[in-house]
Order: sequence, then structure tokens, then C-alpha cells
Amino acid sequence: MKSNSPTVRILVIAVLVLLSIAYLMPIYVMVITSLKSLEEVNRANYLVPSTNPQWSNYVEVLLGSPSFRSQMMPRLLNSTIISVSVTALAAFFGSLGGYYLSRSRTLIARLLFILIGIALYLPYQVVIIPLSILMSRTGMNQSYGGLIFSYLILNVPLASVLMGTFFLGIPRELEEAAHVDGASRVQTFFRIIAPISMPAYASVAIIIFTQVWNEFFLALTLATRNTQTVQVVMAEAKGTTLVLYNLQMAAALVAIALPMLLFLFLGRYFVRGILAGALKG
Amino acid sequence: MHVHASLPDFGCKKSSAEVDKAMAVIDTKTQEKKLAVSAQRQERRQSITDILIFLVPLLFFVILLYGTLFWTVYVSFTNWRTIAPNYELTGFRWYNFLINQPRFEVDIVNNLKWLILGVVPTVVIAIFLAYFLELTPFPKVEAYIRTLILYPVAMSFIVTGTVWSWMYEPQRGVINTALRSIGIDSGFRFATNPGTATYWLILIFIWQYLGFSVIITQSSFRTTELQELIEAATMDGASRLRTLFSVIIPNIRAGLLVLVSLLLISTLKVFDIVFIVTNGGPGISTDVLALNMWVTTFQQHLVSAGAGIGVIIFLMAFILVIPYTIYAFRKWFE
Repeated sequence: MKSNSPTVRILVIAVLVLLSIAYLMPIYVMVITSLKSLEEVNRANYLVPSTNPQWSNYVEVLLGSPSFRSQMMPRLLNSTIISVSVTALAAFFGSLGGYYLSRSRTLIARLLFILIGIALYLPYQVVIIPLSILMSRTGMNQSYGGLIFSYLILNVPLASVLMGTFFLGIPRELEEAAHVDGASRVQTFFRIIAPISMPAYASVAIIIFTQVWNEFFLALTLATRNTQTVQVVMAEAKGTTLVLYNLQMAAALVAIALPMLLFLFLGRYFVRGILAGALKG
Repeated sequence: MHVHASLPDFGCKKSSAEVDKAMAVIDTKTQEKKLAVSAQRQERRQSITDILIFLVPLLFFVILLYGTLFWTVYVSFTNWRTIAPNYELTGFRWYNFLINQPRFEVDIVNNLKWLILGVVPTVVIAIFLAYFLELTPFPKVEAYIRTLILYPVAMSFIVTGTVWSWMYEPQRGVINTALRSIGIDSGFRFATNPGTATYWLILIFIWQYLGFSVIITQSSFRTTELQELIEAATMDGASRLRTLFSVIIPNIRAGLLVLVSLLLISTLKVFDIVFIVTNGGPGISTDVLALNMWVTTFQQHLVSAGAGIGVIIFLMAFILVIPYTIYAFRKWFE
């Protein structure tokens, strides 16, 4: 489907310029502003990089200061613990459930699939009140357990459909051969299916990790002082720093650093995860 | 015994041998049966372990999820309007209260704007851009653009919103400052103009979801049948645009259905962008159902009313997600 007509070449240039401005400008301004002093920011030459980069802005944002009270460091730790736990558990339980859904043709499997299909992109507003009651009654909101558990309920269905989409693509002959050799389903799953599905696990893990890391509504409502996540503290910082754009941008870059690194180095898995979510395994 | 003894030994012996033989046959048969039964039992035991390991964890989370969902539905019919729970049933009282609030009408109008303007332009631009990426003869251009427009999927709406708030700031914002430096006084007030603020918020959403949409659209081009059809159309001398409209778009309906469903749900649920950029303001001009739900429940403590908004959002999501679920179900169990 390739074409090399002059119209296409003009289009290429136009699209390149337009998209580069729209997508590079925000990230460029973020990076150069995060390194400016407040005076430099106030000079309003937003597109010109600083002559004297202020790396101390990052120290200020991570450890807190009188003008930036919302220390990012402990919240980075909170977000990491919560997101990694949810990702590992959701990928594990999701792969078990996804294997069931991809292999069973029973009525239960069909009904369950419909229930999951509806719940897959459930608006969190319809579960938040019971979750916040449960968390405060059981005291789970005081520890990471509360958020981890809540995110698990909401992400295991998604993880199972994503994993199941990949499992549907694995030829049955493989399992039948293992079955003839006397292996049980559980053995077949853990010794054959799971090991060859590592790329699928990677894709699902990246999608779930990014989703949980970036989630705001649940974290805003359920997090307590000790479990506050990066997103919640970002929102708080935006309200309290107002015009300290240099610190705001440094904080924003700190908040996106981890998922952005995953995206840049494991982009392939990222794309595969997105496509599995669109049911193209 | 005596009678038997009087019978010729030979016959008797023979018959006893036959009995032995028969017994042996029966024995092996019962043994086989026993084996079969134990194998069956083992299989059943195996399938119980299978169910315990594969089905039960998923079932546990799905039951919990629907449990909390129905709990919210129940709360919406109670009379809970302070911090302390109150499960006294009052029917549709709080739904009536909600619907008569002027804020509710603003929300519905804004949510409709989000649903239409957040989805239609995104899908249209995504189709053209995906087609463009397929046509471009420079692989490096394609790889660059795909990465360029996809990176926002790794960012949260909170971060995107923080950055764009500053881009949009009318006096000191990046866009107006840049325009002023090249001599244009745009006069844009962006998210501070109550009449147009929602549109500027939607633009952030489109910016963030464009790469995601292009990836999904482009992958639905990549089927052999469609590629053959495109080739045939090109051989017949159809123009590029004509091919797009009469060959490609009709043949990627399934992919578009999924994409549109995902985008509709995302715009319906929108909370973060509004919360961080305008917090519903100026006034309540950019308020949406999800934000109203949060304010009503967790700031005004009208918990039953908040639950009601939650239920309304869910019902809308439920209607929107039905075609997706049917499609996914058919594809899964085909």
C-alpha cells in the first residue's frame, strides 16, 4: 500500500511538522522548565532552555521544601509498592482465569465472560462507596492492603481477558500432547502454557502497571496519609504551588518517569497489550 | 457334593477349569472396571482442582465486583445523607432530588459533548492518520510518528492536565505567550471561558488518546483479505481517497466498533482532566457526572444521591458497552 506521489510527500512534511509541534512542545517545555529558576520562568521565554540548569529543583521536589511541601519521594515508594503488587497478583490470577475462559466452553464460562465483558471497563464511581466503607471499617485503608485489594478487584477481570486473548492463539495440540503423556491440566498450564506465554505476561503487566500507577479517582478517595500515591500528591501540588511552574514540571516528570521508561524500552509489549485490549491477540 | 463327585472327574475338572477361566475373565473385567472408576474419580478430582485453581480466583473477584455494584444500587435507594450510614429505604427520592438540580442538566449536556466531541474527531483523525502511515513510503517516518503520538498513553491525566493547564493559562500560559512573541494576540481564554472551556478540556483528551486510536485502527488494516481488496481497487484505478471510503472503512467495521466503544467508555468516565484543570469551573460550567458524583458523595456527604449518580453513570456505560460485549463474546466462543 505504499505510495510515493508528490501529494503524499507534501502530506508527509505537513503531518510531520504539525504532529511534532503538538506532541513535542509539551514534553520539551516540561523538561526545560523543570530546570529553570523561578526568575527565569518569570521572564516568560518558555521555549528557550535555561543557561544555568537548576538540578536542585528535582531535589526540592523529591525531598520537599518550604515552597514545595508535598514530598514526592515517599509517594513514589507508595505508588511503586501498590502498582507492583497489583500487577503481579492481577497477572497471576488473571492468567489462571484467562486460561479457564479460553479453554472452557461450558455455560458457566459463557455467563462469566458476559459478566466480565460488562465489568471490564466499569466506571469506578459505581463501586467507590462500598469500597470506601469496606476499607475504613476493616482498617485496610491504613495500609497498602486496601488500595491493592481494591485495584485487584477492578483489574483481575481485565487481566484475565487480556491473557485469555493470548491463550486463544496457542495451538491446542501442545496441550493434547502433554495430556497424552499423563500431565494434568494444572501441570500443563504451569509447565508448558505459562512459560511460553512470558511475552503475554509482559504485555499485560505493562498495561496493568501503567493503569494502576496513573489511576487517580480511587487513589484520591481511598488513600490515607500513609498510602498517598504519586497522582494524588501531584494534584495536591498543583493546587499549592500555583505559579511555581518549574517545580510543577519537575514533579510532573518525576511522576511519569517510571511508566515512560517502560514505554520507551518495552514499547513493543505496550502496543501488544493495547491491541489485546482491542481483542486483537 | 456327592452328586458332583459321582460325575466324571474329567467333565467336572473341565467345568471347574472353565469356571476358573470365566472367573479370571470376570476378575480382569472388574479390575478394569475398578481401574476405570478410579481413573474417572481421578479425572473428576483433577477437574475439581482445575476449577479450584483456574475458575475460583476469577469468580471470587467478579463476585466481589458485582457485590459492590449492587451495594451501590441499594445505597442509592436509601436515605443516607450524612457521614453516618443510613440504610432506611426511600425509593426514588434521591433520584428525584438529583434530576431536579440545575447541575444535573449541566452534567448531562457536558457528558454528551464529551461523548460526541471526544470520540468522533478522534476516530476520524485516527483513520486518516493510520491510512497515511500505511501509505507513507518512509519507514522511519512511520516509526517516528507512532512513537511520538503514542507516548501520552504512558502519562496520567493528572500530569497531562497539569501541563496543559499551564499551556492554556491565558496571561502567562505557554500557547498565548508563544503566539504573542510572534506578534499574534490570540485572545484565547481557553479553560477560563465558561462557554468554551469544555471544548478545550476535550482537546486534551483527544491529544492523549490519538496514538492509542491510531494503533488500533492501523492494526485492523492488516488483514490479508483487506490487503487483497485494496490491491484490487488500486489495479482498477480507484483513487487513494476512494479506496479509503469504499473499500477500507466498510471492511474495518469490527475494529472501529471496538475503538469507538473503548473511547466512549473513557469519555463517559472522565474525571481526572476536569478535576485537575478546572475542577468543574468556572462556576459549574465544565462539571461532569463523575465529578458531581465525587463532590456529592465525599464533600457534601449526600451519599445516597452520590450512589444514584454512580448508578446513572453505570447504566450509561452498560448501554454503551453492550455491542462491544456481544462482539467480544462471538469472537471468543466462535
